[in-house]
Amino acid sequence: MKNTLRQVFHSSKFVGGFTIFVLILLTMIIYPLFNPGNPLQQIGVGTFAKPGTYVNLYDATKAPTETFRLEDAAEKRMANSLSEEDKVAMVEWFTAVEADISDLDTSDTDKMLEMWEQYYDPTVKPKGMIRAKINYYKRLDNALKELGSGDTVIIADKDETGALVETKKILDTDYVNTNAVANVKSLPLGTDNFGRDVLKELVSATGTSIRIGLIAGIVATLIGLTLGLLAGYVGGFLDDFIMFITNIFTVIPGFVLLILISYSLGQEQRGAAVVATVIGFTSWTWTCRSVRSQVISLRNRDHVNLSKLSGHSLFRIVLTDILPYIASYVVMAFILQVSSGILSEAQLSLLGLGPKTTEVPTLGLMMNWAMLYSAHTNGSWWAYFPVILTITLISFSLNLMNTGLDQVFNPTLRD
Amino acid sequence: MKKRIAMLLAAAMVVSSMATAVSAEEAAGDVTLPREETLYFAGQQWGTVNSYNPIGTNQNNAMAIAGGPSGYRTIMFETLYMYNFMDGSMIGLLANDDYAWNDDMTALTFTIKDAAKWSDGTPVTGADVVRTFDIGVEIGNGTGTGSGPYIDSIVADGNTVTINAKVDDAGVPLNPLKLLDFLSGTPIAQAAWIDTVYDRCGGDATAILNDAGDDVVYSGPYGPYYDDDQKVVFIRNDEYWGQDASMWGKLPVPKYIAHTIYADNAAGEVALKAGEVDVCQQFIGNVQNLWLEEGLPISTYYEEAPYGVCLTMPTAWYNMNLPVLADNVALRKAIAMAVDYDSIIANAMTNQSPSFSDVPRSLMNPTDGEQALFDHDAVADLQWAGNDIEGANALLDEAGLVDTDGDGYREYNGEKISLNAVCPNGWSDWQASMELVAAAGDKIGVEITTLYPEYSIYQTVFVDPNQTEYAIFMWSPDAAGPSNPWNRVNQFMGLDYVGVANNWSGNWGQYKNEEADALIKKIPVTSDPEELKSLYTELTKIYLTEVPSFSLMYRPSVFHAVNESVWTNFPAGDDGRNIPPADCTDGYGIAALYDLELVG
Repeated sequence: MKNTLRQVFHSSKFVGGFTIFVLILLTMIIYPLFNPGNPLQQIGVGTFAKPGTYVNLYDATKAPTETFRLEDAAEKRMANSLSEEDKVAMVEWFTAVEADISDLDTSDTDKMLEMWEQYYDPTVKPKGMIRAKINYYKRLDNALKELGSGDTVIIADKDETGALVETKKILDTDYVNTNAVANVKSLPLGTDNFGRDVLKELVSATGTSIRIGLIAGIVATLIGLTLGLLAGYVGGFLDDFIMFITNIFTVIPGFVLLILISYSLGQEQRGAAVVATVIGFTSWTWTCRSVRSQVISLRNRDHVNLSKLSGHSLFRIVLTDILPYIASYVVMAFILQVSSGILSEAQLSLLGLGPKTTEVPTLGLMMNWAMLYSAHTNGSWWAYFPVILTITLISFSLNLMNTGLDQVFNPTLRD
Repeated sequence: MKKRIAMLLAAAMVVSSMATAVSAEEAAGDVTLPREETLYFAGQQWGTVNSYNPIGTNQNNAMAIAGGPSGYRTIMFETLYMYNFMDGSMIGLLANDDYAWNDDMTALTFTIKDAAKWSDGTPVTGADVVRTFDIGVEIGNGTGTGSGPYIDSIVADGNTVTINAKVDDAGVPLNPLKLLDFLSGTPIAQAAWIDTVYDRCGGDATAILNDAGDDVVYSGPYGPYYDDDQKVVFIRNDEYWGQDASMWGKLPVPKYIAHTIYADNAAGEVALKAGEVDVCQQFIGNVQNLWLEEGLPISTYYEEAPYGVCLTMPTAWYNMNLPVLADNVALRKAIAMAVDYDSIIANAMTNQSPSFSDVPRSLMNPTDGEQALFDHDAVADLQWAGNDIEGANALLDEAGLVDTDGDGYREYNGEKISLNAVCPNGWSDWQASMELVAAAGDKIGVEITTLYPEYSIYQTVFVDPNQTEYAIFMWSPDAAGPSNPWNRVNQFMGLDYVGVANNWSGNWGQYKNEEADALIKKIPVTSDPEELKSLYTELTKIYLTEVPSFSLMYRPSVFHAVNESVWTNFPAGDDGRNIPPADCTDGYGIAALYDLELVG
């Protein structure tokens, strides 16, 4: 056993896969310690907040300030509200209203703003200009007005009479330390369509999906192994009967069967465990077939015949004389079953046939909701891409482990 | 031998697949539409067109035959009047602008425009209106079942038409509002063509309803040009009568109107972004990002949220067949109070709806016209803005619905209160709302699980008046129209729909309240504004006290996003033209087609 393990851990492929998988498992365990709470809690009111760090504006205005005179501050501020494209658009407007732009230098922002003030009129509708463009100029004008509104922002409160009383001035050179702000929320992967923290949800969903994969793998392997052992060892009518059932299941595409069962179960019955079991029940056939063929080649070996002569029970012969010889194969098959179980859940959920949505997050459900809210067309990559990456990593690591094991145990592949 | 058969089969497959590929190509080659003369739509037509028969049923021809909540779609078949939901006005189309009631509102008279002509050149007359109504009643089509119970007869003298209302024993008309609905909601068909169909079907009602109507005569500006499972195209009738000075004075601008049949909303949205679609009647989440972030030449009716005109309010209905809901007003109100509507509006509608703090809940949609119909102060104490967990819990405790066995859920009659919240699968904004209703239930100790059956199943269950499968389920009441808000109020609490089999019409929760029904019955025959206001106020009080259902958001009845890559000068909120954002086709919204301009 020790020797086998040593051999296994010499395989670089297995070690690679194992490391990735353990890292994923560790993240699953450790991350919730730092960021506890319900992963399905809706923290954002809107949809798809971008990844980044969010500073509470209310608290920030109350935090103590430091004054920094940074040379590029004004430039950055300008660039943030007036891009190069905006400048091109401004020139287009000047042309549309037939202003003289012969000596206009677009790098001279002050001159541009001056001309803008002179020539922009929200009530003018230049001929042939589309509404989307007119709306754009309105927004640009508002942004430019903010820009030109001086270098202070005034914070005011209402007094008893309801009149505004100035309480604080914020200068454009004021900075606050993020540590001094009471509320800073870091969302490395933003929020999803429900306003949930995607990273937190992802970590929790990975856990659920791995559990689903494990349950599906165990169920499939147990059924496949038991039937394969019986069919292979006992043979005769039992073999014919089991193979008859297996062939039927092989002929019907597993995924179609999975869809039909999930559909007929109805959403109310579909918890994560139920879905996992259903996946397991529809994916045992090839384990069964391969186990059977290996057992057939084993059952007439001398040591098995000796056991038979010694009067050992069927159960004992199978367990002690046959199973150990195919154990490595079963482990490899199990790993692949886990991997395909996770993928099946993702596929099912994507079709809206996955587990009930209010209870636990799963990788498939996250993708399902991202797709329903067209995250893929509106550019909210953070809602689905990390999920896809996680699924890929999990099945990659499991397959890598499987290949590594194969190289160790399969005599034809052994170095 | 086996091998040879296999070879033959394979060869046959290759040949047949090539043949289908060729025929598909040919079909697509048939209609190449010049982009500069074609206005493309999305979000209306799903699946292949069944028929062009305006007096039939199940036409699945959304561009030509569709009675939308914001007015009838009049590109091919025209109504007598066009409804404008911006101000509730009725603008004459086939009929002259003014219609007149008699003193006791039992008869309504109008005249048909002299210029109005059918596509075969014959004039539209009063006889066509009469025949359209009579055949409807005879064969039981939409016109017959919708207007038949309220209209006694229609008589015509040349171009002058009189509609006589059905009256009760006291001589009071049953519902004058339904007569107005007929004016703006019924496509008029040609009497001569109806006779042709009648003869070829031998007078059999089912055959007439299912007639394909390939030879149909129409009065609208567009006629059929091409349709298959990929698209449907209409071509302008350059002889259209509406270019007469008494109507539009010109032809609509686009020569072709085309609607590609998309697989789903996402496909339509992608096409809109690519400029392949000009007018898109689809909900687009965070629509502002299309121009703010992606810089596309796309705009909506208003530049700012809610971007459109909200006319309806998708509503969660409580199933009164379930004793736990029917017996416990407190439970109904508590769930409604606990739901976080701001989240629903921000999430499911991406803020394309006013919030319930801006427009407190009532029986009315958020338009100024309807909001003025009830006394806001009188019902202020009864309204709730949502997310009031404390209040909801207190209400339940007070009503004796408490958790006695410590499992975290309250019991009623010793049984855990467990409800489901249901809407069709794939209707993402409603699904998100149901998730939030379930979340609210969790916070107040009521188990609510979500359930999303396929629409084909959903639509058979929720219209069944005896169903007990769905506890809380979603559907939208009526949006706008001459008979609203009365019609919507009737849908919320009227007894008309209780126990009706295959009930698509209203009161889907089967709520019974005699007092409310009596008040509802009074409204159509009341014309005094003060009295109307007190009736509506009283009904709003009952609704907010009894909570037979609760609205989750306000919502436009049609969405209206336009891409100005090819066409421009679409209607907008501030352009002073008073054309409603009705997809350029519905009711008075069709006026938009006459003002379009090419870009550049």
